Amino acid sequence: MESLSETLWDVVIEGTGLRQSLLALALSRSDKKILHVDQHDYYGSAEAAFGLQEADEWVGNVAADSLTLPFRNASLWKAGVYGDERLSFSRAYALSLSPQIVYSTSQLLAQLVSSKVYKQLEFQAVGTWWIYDSSAIDASPSLRRIPNGREDIFEDKSIDLRAKRSLMKFLKFVVDYQSSPETWEPHATSSLPDFLSTQFKLPPHLQTVIIALALSLETPDNTTVSYSLPRIARHLTSIGVLGPGFGAVLPKWGGGAEIAQVACRAGAVGGGVYVLGTGVKDASTDADGSSDVTLSNGEVVKTKLLLRDVSSGVPSDAVIAVSRIIAVVSTSLLPLFESTIEGAPLSAVSVVVFPPNTLSTSDTANTHPIYIMAHSNETGECPGGQSVLYATTLYSSNRKALLKIAIDSLLLSTQNAADAVLYSLHYEQTAPSFGIANPLDLAFDDRMLEDVKCDWKKVVGEVDAKFMRFEDWAGMNNEQVDGDCDY
Amino acid sequence: MASHNVPRPAIIEVKTEQSRLREQNQIDEYRALVDLIDVKITEHQYTLQVLELTSKLLSKNPEYYTVWNARRRLLTCGLFPKLSASSSPLTASQSTSQIGTTTTSSADVSSSITNSSTESKEILDNFDSQTHRKNGTTLELIKSDLGFIFPLMIQYPKCYWIWNYRLWLLKEGNARLETHIARDLWMHELALVGKMLVRDSRNFHGWGYRRNVVAELESPKLNGFSMAEAEFEYTTKMIKANLSNFSAWHRRSKLIPKLLNERKADDATRHDFLNSEFELITEAIYTDAYPYAQSVWFYYQFLMSTLIEPTGSSAINPNCTLQDRIVYLSKQLISLKDMLDGAEDCKWIYDALLEYTLVLCRMREREATPEERQDCLLWLSELRKLDPLRNGRWGDFRLAGSG
Repeated sequence: MESLSETLWDVVIEGTGLRQSLLALALSRSDKKILHVDQHDYYGSAEAAFGLQEADEWVGNVAADSLTLPFRNASLWKAGVYGDERLSFSRAYALSLSPQIVYSTSQLLAQLVSSKVYKQLEFQAVGTWWIYDSSAIDASPSLRRIPNGREDIFEDKSIDLRAKRSLMKFLKFVVDYQSSPETWEPHATSSLPDFLSTQFKLPPHLQTVIIALALSLETPDNTTVSYSLPRIARHLTSIGVLGPGFGAVLPKWGGGAEIAQVACRAGAVGGGVYVLGTGVKDASTDADGSSDVTLSNGEVVKTKLLLRDVSSGVPSDAVIAVSRIIAVVSTSLLPLFESTIEGAPLSAVSVVVFPPNTLSTSDTANTHPIYIMAHSNETGECPGGQSVLYATTLYSSNRKALLKIAIDSLLLSTQNAADAVLYSLHYEQTAPSFGIANPLDLAFDDRMLEDVKCDWKKVVGEVDAKFMRFEDWAGMNNEQVDGDCDY
Repeated sequence: MASHNVPRPAIIEVKTEQSRLREQNQIDEYRALVDLIDVKITEHQYTLQVLELTSKLLSKNPEYYTVWNARRRLLTCGLFPKLSASSSPLTASQSTSQIGTTTTSSADVSSSITNSSTESKEILDNFDSQTHRKNGTTLELIKSDLGFIFPLMIQYPKCYWIWNYRLWLLKEGNARLETHIARDLWMHELALVGKMLVRDSRNFHGWGYRRNVVAELESPKLNGFSMAEAEFEYTTKMIKANLSNFSAWHRRSKLIPKLLNERKADDATRHDFLNSEFELITEAIYTDAYPYAQSVWFYYQFLMSTLIEPTGSSAINPNCTLQDRIVYLSKQLISLKDMLDGAEDCKWIYDALLEYTLVLCRMREREATPEERQDCLLWLSELRKLDPLRNGRWGDFRLAGSG
């Protein structure tokens, strides 16, 4: 068997994160010689999913500061020993670093179908959206459903008739906002709350609901119209596309981590060579344009093109950062996942939005929104009777405490005690603020696919091949594609 | 074809020589099949094999109604056991709540919708009476036919011939099977049409079929009883799922008289019922913006018509006095004017205001006051702007209104 240095590679890809894995998938039928390496000894890189044991190790690595950008300040707390009566054994969990939801209208789904790997993925419904309401003076805070559309608004007794009409006016405008540039373009850089109140006369509590749909990490005042309209439109136009009652999906077994796994598998089937536990130490360019790449195990390989992992080694002043907690709780949170829509499936993921100033510690309130993605055990990420909560907010020094309060508040408002938390992993993650696709986005950003396509073109050159469009491998079962999701 | 947001993956077909030849083969096969069936039917070969041939053809082309007719003949003249003058009631029970699909369907949907399992087909060997065996065979044939049709219905939910044939099949069941067996088949159909309407709540074929199924279940010859309450509740559910569902609103309007009669509603109850329906539809009207949905306005017009012509067949409150109705209509006009504030682009409101103001004048047996005349002219001019396609109609109004 040839050693790695005896081959002239067409491309060496560094890292098996989501973007690089999708590239491997795109190249899997291309007859190019691909060497795909990852410094970690697991697939997925910054988008990986861990069992409890692996999470322990990861936390240790981040703390030791050994090449673990974009992560920092990881710490963890657990209620007991793995495998005792509270926490199950390590491999019963798949805690994901990439729980991004994928909207039904995302190009990613279409590409996973046309590249035929969708059959190896199980998509679950993200159908129930909630907003945390602590405004009632005489009542305890509660979770209120975010209306999915006209019929939910019709049923909502808390909205008065005129407000319903204003809300409908806005919804009808936003799902086709490109056709009415005169309504929004003059206000493109205004804040979304201002736009909603001046142009659509929406009262503050309805503004909060609309703003929640944009899933912005920024404060509402810092969320612009041009940023949020496409996102709100995407949310509303995705509902019902893959089935009644939901507009987004999440792959089972760890979201982005599972997509990366499946994509790398496709890369390997297509002839790519995979080496884990091996990173790129150094690279130099030859006179003929090819690169000599020194791997962390000392081997030197020659390649026509080296694609480095851009997420590591980013200058610290040009980043955005989030604070995250992954918490395992000992309750199934069933009411959170139930839909009111006829024929809708049980959600596996619920989105809970905590608008600014709805939570407070003893000395501060949350200036920024906090999002909790609740995953039921249907996601395969934890055993039955438990759930995984992914809490995210924009980074700032007090955010860890606020995230914890958010989790406790969620448990309280669903009739659970705060001691239902069995495990809590906190960390911070950064991303370049100049990048095109934002990996910290709570929903998959389709612009990542443009990046992948760009890289793909660099490798294959000008060919007549179609990006992410393959036939089934010969001899495989060519079943009728109907595009439905297995939910 | 974009079907109510169900995505169809784009398959770009490039007509290569290879695919053209393949298509030619398919055409030849199809033609041969048509000819073969034609021959067999002409020769009165009403056998299971020919039934299979028709199945094959209809799977490719369910619109070929002649072949559906041939299939009917196959069953009634050949495969169904002869109908006897009287059939004795069975004492033994057969499990009829499941429909065994003898044709497996590749659509995941069908297996999730039907509570069927291929394991539980009737075991008829134990019964030796002629009637049992006859019922068994007929039931088997009907069930296997229903199973054959089901995936076709999913694929072609708007093909008249499929719905008609299914209905015919079940009615044959009425004539040939024991009452409780036939009834079970209809109950299953109700569940099935419910699921079809979840898939596409505005498929009028589905709604028409539902009417038929409910009528059968209510009929005395199937030991039926009225289902008005349940059906009314169903329309409420479907409206809440989609406010723009003409069929749901229409069905609701048709059920109301029967419903109120069954509830033995007195005048006060009927008055309250009308109130709550107006509240419901007003809420629906407000939960809308340009371009406004027609269906809610049609229902509004229906409710108003029961006030204007209270003793019609759609009566809600037939004993309502003229005075009461005048009061009610006036209240609605105020509500409509209120509605206009914030919805000046809604032609329906102007139209309603115009029409009902004139109706009120008629009911009061007097001409329009100058103020009312002025309002009407204003509303007419708005209508001309908002709905120019109907300028002929607005022109007619002008002549009549100024009289």
